[in-house]
Amino acid sequence: MGVVRKKSLSGTIIRYALVAIIVFWAVFLIYWGVVTSIKPPAETFTVTGLSVPFLQFQPTLENWRTELSTRESRSALLNSIIVAVSATLIALALGVPAGYALARFEFRRMKNRDLTIWFLSQRVLPPVVVLIPFFLIMRTLHLLDTVWALVLVNATFVLPFAVVIMRQTFQDLPAELEEAAEVDGCSDFMSFWRISLPLAIPTLVAVAAICVAFTWNEFLFALSLTTLRAKTFPVYLAGAEDTRGVQFWFIATRAILALAPPTVLALFIQRYIVRGLTFGAVKG
Amino acid sequence: MRKNRRAKYFFIFPAIIWVLAFTIFPLIYSLGLSFFRVRLGRPAQFVGLNNFARIFSDYKVGNSLKVTLLYVAITVSIQLILGTLIALLFNQEMRGKNIFRALLILPIFCTPVAVGYLGLTIFYEEGGPINSILMSLFNLKIPWLSSRIWAWVAVLLLDIWQWTPFCFLVILAGLQSLPEEIYDAAYIDSSSEWEIFRKITFPMIQPVIMVVLLLRLIESFKIFDVVYSLTGGGPGTATEVYSLYTYRTGMKFFDLGYASALGYLLLAIVIVIINLLFRQIREVYE
Repeated sequence: MGVVRKKSLSGTIIRYALVAIIVFWAVFLIYWGVVTSIKPPAETFTVTGLSVPFLQFQPTLENWRTELSTRESRSALLNSIIVAVSATLIALALGVPAGYALARFEFRRMKNRDLTIWFLSQRVLPPVVVLIPFFLIMRTLHLLDTVWALVLVNATFVLPFAVVIMRQTFQDLPAELEEAAEVDGCSDFMSFWRISLPLAIPTLVAVAAICVAFTWNEFLFALSLTTLRAKTFPVYLAGAEDTRGVQFWFIATRAILALAPPTVLALFIQRYIVRGLTFGAVKG
Repeated sequence: MRKNRRAKYFFIFPAIIWVLAFTIFPLIYSLGLSFFRVRLGRPAQFVGLNNFARIFSDYKVGNSLKVTLLYVAITVSIQLILGTLIALLFNQEMRGKNIFRALLILPIFCTPVAVGYLGLTIFYEEGGPINSILMSLFNLKIPWLSSRIWAWVAVLLLDIWQWTPFCFLVILAGLQSLPEEIYDAAYIDSSSEWEIFRKITFPMIQPVIMVVLLLRLIESFKIFDVVYSLTGGGPGTATEVYSLYTYRTGMKFFDLGYASALGYLLLAIVIVIINLLFRQIREVYE
């Protein structure tokens, strides 16, 4: 905000000091995880204070090498990627046309707004409420311990993001373009595919990133519906503690490996995060 | 807005059918299950309202409700207050603002289970970073994970760490959308920053704060991951939140009918709370 007010020097210093404390607090947990993951195991508990690499200890990539060469770890990573990408593709394939319909056509029996809120209300549902039926359904379909069970569940959970955010994006596009195309004999499908969709690509990418991140982070269903083969990375991470005791270097390496993909994705879509996570209620 | 086009149904039906199949059907299924005694491998047995009656005599339900509601109330209010304060601090000319803002975004997208396990390393009682700093400064050693109350505080701290940045980010966006002209006038009439915040800024960002409050309430009731990984609900049942208790009932003891009933109670509570705020949601989405 450009309000120009006279600021005292001490005020400025206090302000920057506060900002420094806040930023330190925000990154500390991640910093600690990274540092622990590059410490030699023998020094995990001996190096004190902030454990600054190079100053207080000689960093090593040994833990990372061990971790990435474990078969279990790789297969969990692969499962996570398959689930996140497939669930996102399904959510987009269903949600983008639905969002378009809610933006461009008038629904009478159930008003557009009510339909939008109906989709949105899926996010209100605490996942544990549908845990038992999903478990029994997947058991009946013989999909327990397969990635497909998780794909179905996660596509359902992230669908509201696609519908609601895309609806708003299409609403913000000028309708005149499509009206002109219609005069030229363009069908509804063509004007969606050829005119509106290309203009909505930036938001589409952001929505995809949000869907991937949420699916990647999902834990409750991944834990309940998998046992061995279909474990996602967070579930594999959760098994780490029982199998290895207080071996913090493994825990830290795995935790950082788990949180890196969604966090890095978030940095690429910064401009869209506010709009995305508030379902378009607040424009960032 | 175009009307009477057959095409609109082709656009929207797949999504509607998907939600009917994978949300509405499981919900109805779950309601049905809650009237049965269901054990794997045995035929289900109709028990009427027994599962719901059991809820009232189950002290663990009371405990997990208390833990969850307290957790929601405390973390959501602290996150909103801290988020607002930090947003006000950042809503000024500042060098390096974009980088600081980017760093503050990081916690939001961190995998919650990973946050819980990292919490295990920083709250470690014998020489973890927090205790070693407290030790050298105040000669203080906090039993983070072995004491009932401190384990609870640790869970709250992690949650506040992860979600305050979300509140900050959205409220900052709200602040930045306010027209500057009002402030020019306001500074002529009043010089007290507090008064300007109370009389001008706050009323204007109130809708944004409502949205944040609503979203945080909805998400907070789902808490499971951090507790599962940091404390496992312990020590004892000190941090056993509702979703964790329901998960255990269903997936560890395979008492599926009862777990379904438990799920419905949570759903009812969330719906009542959201309904109290429903008018605001509708206004936001016109």
